[in-house]
Amino acid sequence: MIEALERGIEEGERLGADFVEARFEDLTLRTLERTDDTWRDIQVKSRRGVAITCYVDGTAGFSFAASSDAATVVEAVGRAYKMARASASAAMLKLPFDRDEPVSPTPSYRPKIGVHPRERDLTYKTELVSRAVETAREHAKNVRNIRGLYGELYGDKVVVNSDGSKIQWDFLVTELRVRVTSRTGSGDMVAGMEGFGGTFGLDRYETEPYNPESMGKVAAERANEQLEARPCPAGKFRGLIENRLVGVLAHESFGHLSEADFVVTGGSPLTGKVGERLGTEHATIIDSGIVDIESYGGLWVPFDDQGTPASETVVLERGVLKHYLHNRGTAKKLGQRPTGNARAVNFTFPPIVRMTNTYFAPGDLTEEEAIELVGTGVYAIQTFGGQVQGDGSFLFKALRGYWIEDREIKYPIREVSLSGNVLDLLGKVEGATRDLRLYSGYFGGCGKGGQAPLPVGLGGPKLVIDGITFGGKS
Amino acid sequence: MMDSSHRITFDSVSDELLAVADSALSHGRSVAPDAEVEVFVYFSKSMEVEIDQGIVTAKDGAVAGAAARVALGKRIGFASASGVSDDRVKSCVDNALEVAKSVNVEDPRFEGFCDPAGQGRDGAFDDRILELGTDDLIRWAQEVIEEAKKVDERVKIVSSSGEAWWGGYAVANTRGVLGATRFGGNVITSNIQAIEGEERRGSFEFDAARDRLVEREGLGARAAERAVSLLGAKKLDYTGEMKTVWAPIPASTYIASSLSRSVLGKPVVEGISPLCDRLGDKIAPDFLTIVDDGQSPKSMGTYAIDAEGHPQRDNVVIKDGVLKGFLFNSYYARAFDVDPTGNAVRGGGLFGSAIPYEVGVEVGTKHMDVAPGRRPLEDIVSSIGGRAVLIHDFPLGIFHTDVATGEFSIVANSVFLIEDGEIKHSIQPVSVAGNFYKGLTDLVEAGSDVRSLPWNVTVGTLVFDGFSVVG
Repeated sequence: MIEALERGIEEGERLGADFVEARFEDLTLRTLERTDDTWRDIQVKSRRGVAITCYVDGTAGFSFAASSDAATVVEAVGRAYKMARASASAAMLKLPFDRDEPVSPTPSYRPKIGVHPRERDLTYKTELVSRAVETAREHAKNVRNIRGLYGELYGDKVVVNSDGSKIQWDFLVTELRVRVTSRTGSGDMVAGMEGFGGTFGLDRYETEPYNPESMGKVAAERANEQLEARPCPAGKFRGLIENRLVGVLAHESFGHLSEADFVVTGGSPLTGKVGERLGTEHATIIDSGIVDIESYGGLWVPFDDQGTPASETVVLERGVLKHYLHNRGTAKKLGQRPTGNARAVNFTFPPIVRMTNTYFAPGDLTEEEAIELVGTGVYAIQTFGGQVQGDGSFLFKALRGYWIEDREIKYPIREVSLSGNVLDLLGKVEGATRDLRLYSGYFGGCGKGGQAPLPVGLGGPKLVIDGITFGGKS
Repeated sequence: MMDSSHRITFDSVSDELLAVADSALSHGRSVAPDAEVEVFVYFSKSMEVEIDQGIVTAKDGAVAGAAARVALGKRIGFASASGVSDDRVKSCVDNALEVAKSVNVEDPRFEGFCDPAGQGRDGAFDDRILELGTDDLIRWAQEVIEEAKKVDERVKIVSSSGEAWWGGYAVANTRGVLGATRFGGNVITSNIQAIEGEERRGSFEFDAARDRLVEREGLGARAAERAVSLLGAKKLDYTGEMKTVWAPIPASTYIASSLSRSVLGKPVVEGISPLCDRLGDKIAPDFLTIVDDGQSPKSMGTYAIDAEGHPQRDNVVIKDGVLKGFLFNSYYARAFDVDPTGNAVRGGGLFGSAIPYEVGVEVGTKHMDVAPGRRPLEDIVSSIGGRAVLIHDFPLGIFHTDVATGEFSIVANSVFLIEDGEIKHSIQPVSVAGNFYKGLTDLVEAGSDVRSLPWNVTVGTLVFDGFSVVG
């Protein structure tokens, strides 16, 4: 395969491109879904194709094809080159970058995978889902519906480029989820959920607390608790934000603003603010494709889709903006180092600036100390995800939580939204707990520029933040 | 093997895909004579250009691939593969058969794939879309940007994108379904940020069509004027219930994130939609009538057949405020003991997959058409006594809502205060929370200013009482 891509690089350079990247992916995806006693289609997908980016005068043209022979690659190169040339004449802002030495094809870190999903048959995986669903059924009350999901995505990713880099690596993400929907006495639907995913072998799903039995029980207990939960009061409160939700805050509300494609255009409110204090000393935000997955979880992204090796980028250090997330062109433009953040969701898209694992750094509080620090407010836990706009305003949903009063947890609350502007919020981070957790998975993911769902990792400790707007019953 | 998909044209796409689907089906019959087999073959060619603050990016390519389902009794395998060569599509059938053979779990509800029921009509298509090139899309985007920049010097961040696409899909199954449909369209967008000091306000406009080339004139100016008008926003300084007026774009997101999800076969059959046992009940005021129309010629959701080969049609969802029907593919229709409504989709909807053939068959709306009311937004505003909030553009977070609970909470960034019949001034972002289903009963008015949106909703302004507003 690498030979066909190299043939494409030669062709692009012969036509006159300043730089050419040729990618190939050959991925397998499997999805299993059981709802109550019903199995939907057991899905096996093969995703194979080439993607070509030609750069002319700091402007990119992109083409792709669901095939991998040399003739198809050369044809795609011709189209990409023509588009790059047409775009270069219209471009008012260009992002050229320098050629570099070829990168080492050996990743600087590789997580240990005990049992790769390709080593287990479908029956083993359907059993995983069934064990979770059946345990949830044993423990749940007033059940309306129980759903178990398993997904896996793995296979070869190849990048060859005009630097002479030839990289081939094995992407892997797996996830198991269980969700219990129950109905309250008054007819309202409530839900309890548990999920676990990332660059994990199947051995991780046989270990507490993420074996199917534990996950099924936890999802059921959360749904049971929601049967008695009250609506969250509406208004501005101090909040204790749980690890997963902190990850959404790091990713959605700050991470996207630090993506340098928004910065070079001036579209991000972080434009020109490197070195400025944006948050308290408790706010440190990191993006890294090579997190310690064995210890904390997350997603392994050792190279981006331009072939840049992953690195750890401290974006915000103790409240001060330090670095943006880059592709090669934005890094050159802003005089920073490439960070390995050029990613494409699949071969039908060009790499754009995306996050890898984005998380808040841990602090020194225990959970009890954090609850005391909140005094009165909301403990917001788990999430459906969130959204951010260019000015820094965000909204995300917590799946459940607790009302805290007089430094004690008082009662469970229903799902609730958290909103605000991240640039205000970072200045109100009052503390962080010690426990760092990272989350990733097969289902869902990040969306940007029509490219979704891109697997990412996110997380952090628990954070105490003042002045969050909670939407609920007024 | 050389991929032959580059030879496919708009004129030939139906025949080419039908031939591949039929050939793979024959292969399925020979390797699994006792199985039910279904083959789906998809091809879509597109070209996109974006200009963002002077950075130009261009992209083209053909998304081409296939999916097969094979059922051995109630054991069903699904496999998909990129590429539409005979070999790749046949390999889908082989892989799906292998899955069905290798697992020992069943879907007790499964009664077979879709029965043949004829074919509907393709949507309209303007052949000039086929002639568009990168240069045309670049020129369009440049026109939009120039127009936006002329509006006001506070219009600082301007981007525009254009896209043109065409394609088709074919479905064949061992029950006798053998059909194909074609689609296509073009879209132009304008995305603006107006900046004054530290205040940033954004707005978005677009035009999308399949039956004509998009209208560029006025697009950049409208988005720029809206963004500028939001500057100088004042704090609402209020927490409590308040009347909210949703202009057609946010109103369409309300419909798309609530009814468009809760009337679908899956949550209805599984019993998690709060509407699942309310057929025949009054769930909204008399003036609310909604039809899901799968055959409106100009709608992006119109196809001759749905994603499992059933003819598309129109289906009444709500008539005069009474819940009249749900939307089904063949699987959920059988489970609910009704006929399919032609609403099978593969990766459709507002957040549809870029690779539809990789997605299993689900149920989705085709085009939710909300009957127009008696007056437009301007007249509605003048009729409002006291205070209300007017919401434009896309509310943040509206799709992060669970269909089962219907509890929603959004942040509206493009907001104005209405006071005693007049739009007073822009206000800083407000949070609006409530329940989708209760919202339907608290609907005060639907406007006559209907707009057809490419995420398959046509609706005018909607006015609600009773939502909580924090701002």
